[in-house]
Amino acid sequence: MRKRQSVSVSDASLPAGGGAGQAGHPIYDHLELLAAMGQDFASSGDIEASLKRAVEHITEYLDAEGGALFLLDDKGETLRCHACIGPTEITGLTLKCDQGIVGRCVQNEIGEIVRDVTKDAGFHAGVDEQTGFTTRSILCAPMSVKDQRIGAIELINKRGGDGLFEESDLHLLQAMSASAALAIHNARQAEALVEQERIARELELAAEIQRSLLPEAGADDYPVAGVNHAARTVSGDFYDFFPLDDGRICFTLGDVSGKGMNAALMMAKTASLYRCLGKTVRQPGRLMARINAEICETTTRGMFVTMVGGIYDPSTGIVRFANAGHEPPLFHDAEDNFHALPAEAPPLGISPALVDGLEFPETELKLDGGTLYIFTDGVTEGYLEDGRELEVGGLKRLIRENAALNVKGKLNAVIDCVDRGDAALRDDLTLLAIDDAVPLDLRTSGGSVAVEKTPQDTLKAAEEEEILLSLTVPSQADRLKLIRNAVSETARFCGCDKDVCRDIVIAVDEACQNVIRHAYGGSPNGEISLEIIRRSDALVFLLRDFAESIDVSSVKPRDLDDIRPGGLGTHFMREVMDDVQFMPPPADGGNLLRMVKKLSKGPENET
Amino acid sequence: MKHEIRDEKDAIVVALEGDVDLQSSPDARKVLLDCVGRKRPVLVDLSAVGYIDSSGVASLVESLQTAKKSGNTLVLVAVSEGAMRVLQLARLDKVFTICDTVEDGLKQVRQ
Repeated sequence: MRKRQSVSVSDASLPAGGGAGQAGHPIYDHLELLAAMGQDFASSGDIEASLKRAVEHITEYLDAEGGALFLLDDKGETLRCHACIGPTEITGLTLKCDQGIVGRCVQNEIGEIVRDVTKDAGFHAGVDEQTGFTTRSILCAPMSVKDQRIGAIELINKRGGDGLFEESDLHLLQAMSASAALAIHNARQAEALVEQERIARELELAAEIQRSLLPEAGADDYPVAGVNHAARTVSGDFYDFFPLDDGRICFTLGDVSGKGMNAALMMAKTASLYRCLGKTVRQPGRLMARINAEICETTTRGMFVTMVGGIYDPSTGIVRFANAGHEPPLFHDAEDNFHALPAEAPPLGISPALVDGLEFPETELKLDGGTLYIFTDGVTEGYLEDGRELEVGGLKRLIRENAALNVKGKLNAVIDCVDRGDAALRDDLTLLAIDDAVPLDLRTSGGSVAVEKTPQDTLKAAEEEEILLSLTVPSQADRLKLIRNAVSETARFCGCDKDVCRDIVIAVDEACQNVIRHAYGGSPNGEISLEIIRRSDALVFLLRDFAESIDVSSVKPRDLDDIRPGGLGTHFMREVMDDVQFMPPPADGGNLLRMVKKLSKGPENET
Repeated sequence: MKHEIRDEKDAIVVALEGDVDLQSSPDARKVLLDCVGRKRPVLVDLSAVGYIDSSGVASLVESLQTAKKSGNTLVLVAVSEGAMRVLQLARLDKVFTICDTVEDGLKQVRQ
């Protein structure tokens, strides 16, 4: 009863003198309640629990039989009871956003006193029917912050007096609702902030993974270097380079259409495909065709990748590359001339049928001491200090000015002009250079760079190589026995014991079978050439055919858990030999398979 | 490659001899499948097989599968060192029932 004569909220700012009500209940009672609620909201980490406590306090303070707090869902379509106190438990109950008195109150954003619900057409009797409770009167105040509807607090059935809510009750409830609304709003904002931070952290993680996909920088005199500055956290650009076991260097640079996470994921996929396939598919045109087919098969509609991929041979200075719709690479030759090398094929991921035949066209270029630059349009379209774009002209100027620097210096000189660190980048900047100046020196000294094997090993091996056997037979099954006998005798001659001889025979026999069955498709009119080379530490078997080049990736060991007839041959080869590899196809076509069997050290090897 | 088939009381014994390779494995396959098709246990004697390649192994696997499908038995007996090495490389030495001698094989199929 004490609350019934309380002063409306708007009167709460009256001078202190008006604070004491006639019944001796000071006005700051409900101010205290408001303050306590506010503090609870502010200090609690659990907004739901705070709301529940608030509803309890309000219901008790306004002397109602029950109270409930409803919140609108994200879409504003349904009202759900989040906290409730009283004889019936309706937490979790959902209503349509305009259902019942609480719905009306929320929609109109006006507080209401309904003294007799039976006379109110908007009253939703469904809840009473379900719970057996009898609602007589309702007091309801909306919760909203800055025109944003949040929900409402509803009180049911005044206990004392005539059992009717009064105007002053509504004022008080509205004040409390406003406080609760603000708390909910703040909690939601805090939650959104946490979510934003979580996304930012995940983006940072994604960026870290992306950076790990880029190759580590080589030594200062390594002929290939790249640089990538992302405009956002993650990048749709990529570059890569890695040495092949024959001393050549496989390289690529690409740009995925679009920006953001989807571009970054596509970048990760393409870069991984390149690195993986690039180790076995040694022709850039074929490699690009393979990646194109793979991307076309799984790509999201509308995404594509422009890309240059190729192989550089430091020992000759020759670069072979294929350009799939990418910006023309710039070749700065040793005489200070520039040559643009435009794309001859569409970007990857557009259509597998766009490219004639199975391969992307290749460009061969002898660098002869020059430098090849491959870059994304983020570089040429990047803004200079004066606000103009760098453009190809500007890039050429920078390249000329910094021609004396080493390859990393050359790249940094360009990047520093576009990314001065004073403003956000317009687009990702990615630049790769192949500088033939270093290998030129090495060529004269006869060395080799960028090989995983040390140069000495290569030289030593080369010195001590001896061709023990060289034979050519027709691609006929009845000649396999000849080959087996020759191989067996040769291995025995090199001191291999019986078991090793037998293993080697199995591997070579299976390799020859593959040639007859797969490369020549069973035709007896082909030729197979076998060369057995003895090194100090190994026997090398070079098996050559003159059939159409086969798809290397289709020749892989089978899964032995799945035992079905056929296809075991490759598995035998890999089991027996220490190294089995398809080499780059010889200039005049065909396939070249190299198998290496290490010889165990021992005096018997000398026999 | 040559082969010899003899009917024992409890099984058909088929002995392969020589190299089972790309050249001869189609013959070996036919012989083995014929024997398996007779619905009696089959012992494959590999004691005189000097060399067997993946296509020969494939014929053995196919015969084993055919036998199993019809509830029949196929046992390898007296496997030569060379053939055993190939079976090991293929990890098939655990898939086949392998007995040291023809007699052991016959005992095996009687069980």
